[in-house]
Amino acid sequence: MTNKDDDHRIDVIDTVSQKVTITSQANKTLLETLESHNIDVQFHCREGFCGACRTKILSGEVDYTTDPLAFIDDDEILPCCCKPISDITIKIAF
Amino acid sequence: MKYTTFNQEKTNQLEEPMFFGKPVNVARYDQQKHSIFEKLIEKQISFFWRPEEVDVSRDRVDFQKLSDPEKHIFISNLKYQTLLDSVQGRSPNIAFLPIISIPELETWVETWSFFETIHSRSYTHILRNLFVDPSEIFEDIVENDEIKRRATDISRYYDDLIYATQLWQTQGEGTYTLDGEPYVVSMRELKKKLYLCMNSVNALEAIRFYVSFACTFAFAERELMEGNSKIIRLIARDENLHLTSTQHILNLWAKGKDDSEMAEIAVECQDEAQAIFLKAVEQEKQWAEYLFQHGSMIGLNKEILCQYVEYIANQRMSAIGMGTPFEVTSNPLPWMNNYLVSDNVQVAPQESEISSYLVGQIDSSVSEDDFADFEL
Repeated sequence: MTNKDDDHRIDVIDTVSQKVTITSQANKTLLETLESHNIDVQFHCREGFCGACRTKILSGEVDYTTDPLAFIDDDEILPCCCKPISDITIKIAF
Repeated sequence: MKYTTFNQEKTNQLEEPMFFGKPVNVARYDQQKHSIFEKLIEKQISFFWRPEEVDVSRDRVDFQKLSDPEKHIFISNLKYQTLLDSVQGRSPNIAFLPIISIPELETWVETWSFFETIHSRSYTHILRNLFVDPSEIFEDIVENDEIKRRATDISRYYDDLIYATQLWQTQGEGTYTLDGEPYVVSMRELKKKLYLCMNSVNALEAIRFYVSFACTFAFAERELMEGNSKIIRLIARDENLHLTSTQHILNLWAKGKDDSEMAEIAVECQDEAQAIFLKAVEQEKQWAEYLFQHGSMIGLNKEILCQYVEYIANQRMSAIGMGTPFEVTSNPLPWMNNYLVSDNVQVAPQESEISSYLVGQIDSSVSEDDFADFEL
């Protein structure tokens, strides 16, 4: 069983294929968590409608805090409006 | 096929493609083929704003203090933005509405265009404040070669689609010669024109606005022309939503989730669509050169602006499966993002309405657990 409020491991693979591991924070969106670790992710609206923060998810699952309106492919997530509900691996594109 | 404003034939809107199916009859939203458009409508309406809400009176003093090259940058951008919204305020309605066949998309296009007209009105609001008589500025939009060149490319795909649709609606499929020009009207050709037009609109919403936005926000970074910047922030937020809608349409086609013929066309016209995008990028870079021809402004020059266009283009192109053709990997203008955050647009709840609050009113869901500790 995955508990929503548990801390989850986030493996972040950047553009040069280096891996950083951080831990999710229950009161923060994935984007805020990444920013608190000084990991730059592009963003605009921070509300899920513009798609600027679109990021590839390689494994794991996230839960959306608001319904994302921007187009996202099956293997993509919007960090600005989601939180991990399991350990996840993501790939930062830009 | 003749257009009818109320198709009396019984249709199942859930089985119609987005475009070129049977004309819409009942504007009903209880059942939706592509519910995303209804969500976009709700979001867009929650963004409602009026240019007059924003006080631009201080900008007049700031404007007098700008250097001549800076005045050229500021005014040229306003002219270009006026052109873009003049086109966008009418074209989606005229080009898309006659061929749309699902009600939620029809209403989205109407909502979208309506907001572009708010943008157009806000340019008048800004210019009226800066000049006693802004006629000269508006008149130059149809005389200035740099702007005209862009207008040609922006309106071309719309005009092609509109003309072909008119021929199809009045004459039906076939080959026609009009004013010595041959025209082939077939469903396949119409759909190709629609596909290219949608790509051109997508490139417009994705790229064409951003050089001007960057200049506006570069002034605001120096605490200049802040009224104007506040209006452009509201416009940028709307444009982001419009971009999302064209990305959805293109992806629904490409992934075969709407009309299988459009999926074939997406493959067939891939190179042409990419060329439209790359040309928009090129034109924006040329625009940056024109803007800075008399000199740069503090915090911004042609090189950085061109890199920013490439950076944004990479993002926008990868969103519709066109890959990332440019080498820029980090954002050359990181402060831009602060101006594009949706909630930074509002100052205080009592001054303007908070979008998430308004959308919350519509979307609110209450689960049984919420009443777990509630007793009578």
